[in-house]
Amino acid sequence: MNWWDDALHRATAEVVLAGALAGLIGVHVVLRRLSFFTMALTHATFPGVVVASIIGVPLLVGGVAAGAVVALGVAALSRRRGQDAAAATGVLLSAGFALGTALVATQSGFSRDLSAFLVGSVLTVDGPDLVATAAVLGVVAIVLAWCSRPLLFTGFDRGAAAAAGVSTGVWDVVLLFTVQLVVVTVVPAVGTILALSLIVAPAAAARLWSGRLSVITGLAVVFGVTSGLGGLYASARWNVAAGASIALLATGVLLVSWVLTRLRPPVR
Amino acid sequence: MGDAALRYAGVSVGYHGRPVLTHVDLELRAGQRLALVGPNGAGKSTLIRSVLGLAQVLDGAVTVLGRSPAAARGLAGYVPQNDVPDAGFPVSARQVVLMGRYRRIGWWRPTRPADRRAVAEALDRVGLADRAGHRFGTLSGGQRQRVLLARAIVAEPRLLLLDEPFNGVDAVSQEAIVRVLRDLTGAGTALVLSTHDLTVARELADLVCLLNGRQWAVGPPAETLTAEPLRRAYGGQAIDGPGGRLVLIEP
Repeated sequence: MNWWDDALHRATAEVVLAGALAGLIGVHVVLRRLSFFTMALTHATFPGVVVASIIGVPLLVGGVAAGAVVALGVAALSRRRGQDAAAATGVLLSAGFALGTALVATQSGFSRDLSAFLVGSVLTVDGPDLVATAAVLGVVAIVLAWCSRPLLFTGFDRGAAAAAGVSTGVWDVVLLFTVQLVVVTVVPAVGTILALSLIVAPAAAARLWSGRLSVITGLAVVFGVTSGLGGLYASARWNVAAGASIALLATGVLLVSWVLTRLRPPVR
Repeated sequence: MGDAALRYAGVSVGYHGRPVLTHVDLELRAGQRLALVGPNGAGKSTLIRSVLGLAQVLDGAVTVLGRSPAAARGLAGYVPQNDVPDAGFPVSARQVVLMGRYRRIGWWRPTRPADRRAVAEALDRVGLADRAGHRFGTLSGGQRQRVLLARAIVAEPRLLLLDEPFNGVDAVSQEAIVRVLRDLTGAGTALVLSTHDLTVARELADLVCLLNGRQWAVGPPAETLTAEPLRRAYGGQAIDGPGGRLVLIEP
């Protein structure tokens, strides 16, 4: 029997890849304070993957399309003067979630799968899912490494970056689409709703431990992978939903990091 | 002279089609120091941002280093106020200064030894060689300002713009900054700095531009920083103090 034929083996590989992916992008989400925006993306991804599943196209396509609509919608709404970006994001967030729920309700016999979209179903991950996650991990790692200078400059000092000739708006879009790609990719592992904790918690925890970007990135990946593996183990051992235990473990890592870093002198 | 670093002729600048500052007429040559003086909200920052192509030129003609502001983007050095960059960002002083070289290095090429040397020299010049590895957010306001100045000069700009460079800056840092600015202009760099500190303007600038919604005066400090032009620019914020001295009040 091939190693890949075991559902638990595939799930293990998936959580390692998804954890690393979430950790990588999470650093940017945390540093750029995009957590709330990411939350809106995760909720808007939900109707996207539901539609994709209804019409029979890959979930990745539906999720990316829905996320793109939200990203552009938020960008457009927040550009209008006097409009509060947070309010706009919040409205889109719950509207997306409502749309997804409504769509699910239109399909008879569909409700069984609802939780798979919301909180993941890592034990049903198949070969193509794994290949997709690995490919996205490669793409995201290359994009983030290749674009690290403009992303860093734009995030740190937007005005000076623009003055130095950086197309800050373009790099914003690159970053937002990369975040969206990650959100959709980790859906099989943790679902749309729990994706946020796997993306934000490991990076936020890593941020507490170090003031160096390279160290933060490395730690975020380690924390993401650890949360994935630990959550999967807990799920198999105590028979709880894997997505939930992964999200809880990621949150636990953040809590423990917060307590431990409070007990020692701050890092420079 | 044809090679003015900066030339504004009958210019209005603003945002979203609405003017913030009008009637700007000035010319700055290589090696000159121009101070933009006016109360809060006078349009000093908007004028600086218009040089960088970040605020709209609504009327008149602007030439920056012989080009339009958009075409000159990246050629002029820019030092924002020290509280503008995200202090929570995990970047060291060295990494911040290196940002000034990005344009020269290219977005994707690795840094060369020459770039690292230039960064070290720039930090040394502002007196922060020993803080290179420190995180930007842990530095004092004055030190942050010097790091941002180092980031601008590492690109060797012919025109340098500083927005309120002495705000929240200690005396040691202010001295270090003034020394570097004098060196730069001595070597031919044109300088524009905004300030509401008349003493700084008087001591440092060759030219002063008095602003408040419009340009009220431009010329040497001895002509512009006198009671009459100041009273015009500051309006009700200028009151006559004891002994015939003019006192300016910031609301």
